[in-house]
Amino acid sequence: MSATKLIKLTIDGHDVSVPEGTTIWDAARQAGIEIPVLCHSPRLRPVGVCRMCVVDIGQRVMAASCVRPCEDGMKVDASSPKVQRHRKVLTQLLLSDYPENSRREQTTGDDQLLALARRFGIDQIPFAEGASNGARGRDASSAVIDVDHQACILCDKCMRACNELQHNDVITRTGKGYGARIAFDLDAPMGSSTCVSCGECMAVCPTGALTNKLIVPVRANRRGSNR
Amino acid sequence: MKLLNKMMHLQDRHGAVTDTMLRELSLSERVPLQHLEGLRGFYPVFRSAPAQRRQVQVCRDIACLMHGGSNFCELLKAAFAGADAIDVEEVSCVGRCDTAPAVLVGEVPVSGSVTEIAQWATGKKPLPAHEPTASPRHWPTDPYADGKSRYGALRDHVASTDDRKHDALIQTLKDADLRGLGGAAFPTGMKWELTRKADGAPKYVICNADESEPGTFKDRVLLEELPHLLIEAMALAGWTIGATQGIVYLRHEYAKEQKALQREIDNARAIGALGKNIFGSATDFDIEIFVSPGGYILGEETALLEALEDKRGEPRNKPPFPTNHGLWGKPTLMNNVETFCAIPIILARGAGWWSTQGRRGYKGLKYMCVSGDVVSPGVYCVPWGTSVSELLDLCGGMADGKNLYAFSPGGASTNILPATKRDVALDFKALQDAGSSLGTGAMVFIAEGRDLLELAMSEVKFFRNESCGKCVPCRVGSHKAVELVESAMAGRPAANLVELLADLNSTLVQTSICGLGQVALAPVMSVINNFPDDIRPKLGADAVKESR
Repeated sequence: MSATKLIKLTIDGHDVSVPEGTTIWDAARQAGIEIPVLCHSPRLRPVGVCRMCVVDIGQRVMAASCVRPCEDGMKVDASSPKVQRHRKVLTQLLLSDYPENSRREQTTGDDQLLALARRFGIDQIPFAEGASNGARGRDASSAVIDVDHQACILCDKCMRACNELQHNDVITRTGKGYGARIAFDLDAPMGSSTCVSCGECMAVCPTGALTNKLIVPVRANRRGSNR
Repeated sequence: MKLLNKMMHLQDRHGAVTDTMLRELSLSERVPLQHLEGLRGFYPVFRSAPAQRRQVQVCRDIACLMHGGSNFCELLKAAFAGADAIDVEEVSCVGRCDTAPAVLVGEVPVSGSVTEIAQWATGKKPLPAHEPTASPRHWPTDPYADGKSRYGALRDHVASTDDRKHDALIQTLKDADLRGLGGAAFPTGMKWELTRKADGAPKYVICNADESEPGTFKDRVLLEELPHLLIEAMALAGWTIGATQGIVYLRHEYAKEQKALQREIDNARAIGALGKNIFGSATDFDIEIFVSPGGYILGEETALLEALEDKRGEPRNKPPFPTNHGLWGKPTLMNNVETFCAIPIILARGAGWWSTQGRRGYKGLKYMCVSGDVVSPGVYCVPWGTSVSELLDLCGGMADGKNLYAFSPGGASTNILPATKRDVALDFKALQDAGSSLGTGAMVFIAEGRDLLELAMSEVKFFRNESCGKCVPCRVGSHKAVELVESAMAGRPAANLVELLADLNSTLVQTSICGLGQVALAPVMSVINNFPDDIRPKLGADAVKESR
């Protein structure tokens, strides 16, 4: 076994040493410090798009901890008021376009965006709400998976799950900028795409965008209100 | 490159890349459908169904907005009413700010009155020739004024048997203090050195010729009139870092410039300056042009690399940087057109000569592209350290005898400054100290009487429109900011609007993946901060109260 170089750094004042190449997010996790994240899970290649995991490393701008490797001597601030303030604004931005009802929250009760909203104590959103016009639409064409584009935060998890974990290669992002959204094959309805209903996408989805269609009615697990 | 080139070929030939074509492409190239949809949905040149009608594209960004007015596109549409087979659409800056308002009929840039444009578009009047100029001007950064001894610096270097000559070249670039002139100002010598030392093969040399920021068109002129300098510098870069392949990533709207560059590439091959065994040496290097499928974000260097790898052009998280981990994960040297074009004369005449070309202690020559309310907009090559007001004088002063009110020194991403700062020197540090930056060198002069908030918001909307959508702060934040300000301009300001915008701006600056998101709100923040008496009342009562 070849010797791996150890990197020493501090995270929120705690001394941490990890093998070279470890991300800040993983290092923090090993040290028992939980950095919030929506677009990452240890099962997936990190992409750093939700920016919720940003940390202050004393540089010009913050770093997304899920993709930034640790460096020797780094001083990471993962929980300061400044860091939390940015995370709160990011959460508010996502909530401003979020539908009134999240199917994930209504069924399994584990909507991660709404959990962050509660964690940051967000009770109002200062931005214009974009969900009421339902602009992004819903796709109920699959027999198994319900697609609510309005609840999609483009975290990219379903794409990695479909294309990289399961190698089904069905899901992409189409469009660009604010109009970007997930799509199946050549932007077909999910039910008429090459989707094999493996369920990996809805298993990794952090929001109400991809949820299991209920074949047998199940009583909702109600944990608090939706907002 | 392979896939996107095939898709662009289909688009050119059939006016669309249809589902049927993508299904065939998916089978022949063994690429999933979803990947092809991702590309078609991302790049603006692709259409999923053929446009039935002739395309007229109207630029909506700052210089064109100033000259055409916000209803220019509407006026054109009205002029075409009844004439079917013409489709008019607004597009982002097409790099012809010197002939604003800029319009593309088909692929041909035109400029004129609504009536004239209607005549071109309906075929009543033949479109102007779209050929490279037959008589390029003489520019002061061209060491080959005679036109005969071109590629002299390349000839000298590849013929050298002295191993120290590579490092000497890098040292010369350092001594000249040459920096990236695409806007980032990264020291060029250091970039060449990092790529030279980086492990990995093959290495690549890429020219970023995708300038697309509103107000920016200097590279367009260099590509048309000085392509031999670009080719020579790229070949020198290949020789220095040990690369044999060069790629020019060219913006889609520069068809004429592409022709000029391709002609010179062909000429360079014919005289032995490109290809195998350059000038009889052991050095091989060649260049191909890749035409971008469109979008400002592709000028971001890692988005550009993603596009070259046939992916959606979304910026990568950095580090790693392209010098070590660039195209296909290999060391890649990427410079802007103007940066490359400065190198032959620095090598031919020395860093000392270059240093003496500046003024007030600054080094070198800079191409500025000037637009807005000036008598003679265009590209000007000026000594570093020239002041803003001296540049204005060179352009014949303000149009219509109006007074200067404000200026944006370096493109949409640079803070708008008041006329009182007109004596500041054109230099990275000097403009930074003045509260802005030199950016790409895209100077927009703004006269008294202009609606500065409207102009600043046109720039914010540009960034919103051009956001790739990859990260949350830029994708959602730029959109929400536009909504907030437009709502205030319509008389419905949010409570604590200025504070809210400042917080949002801070999050975009601190958490966006790339420079686009980081600067997206800069134009509006700069006018709020630098022109409070003008702007705050326009943003509503709360904003005024707060400022006192």
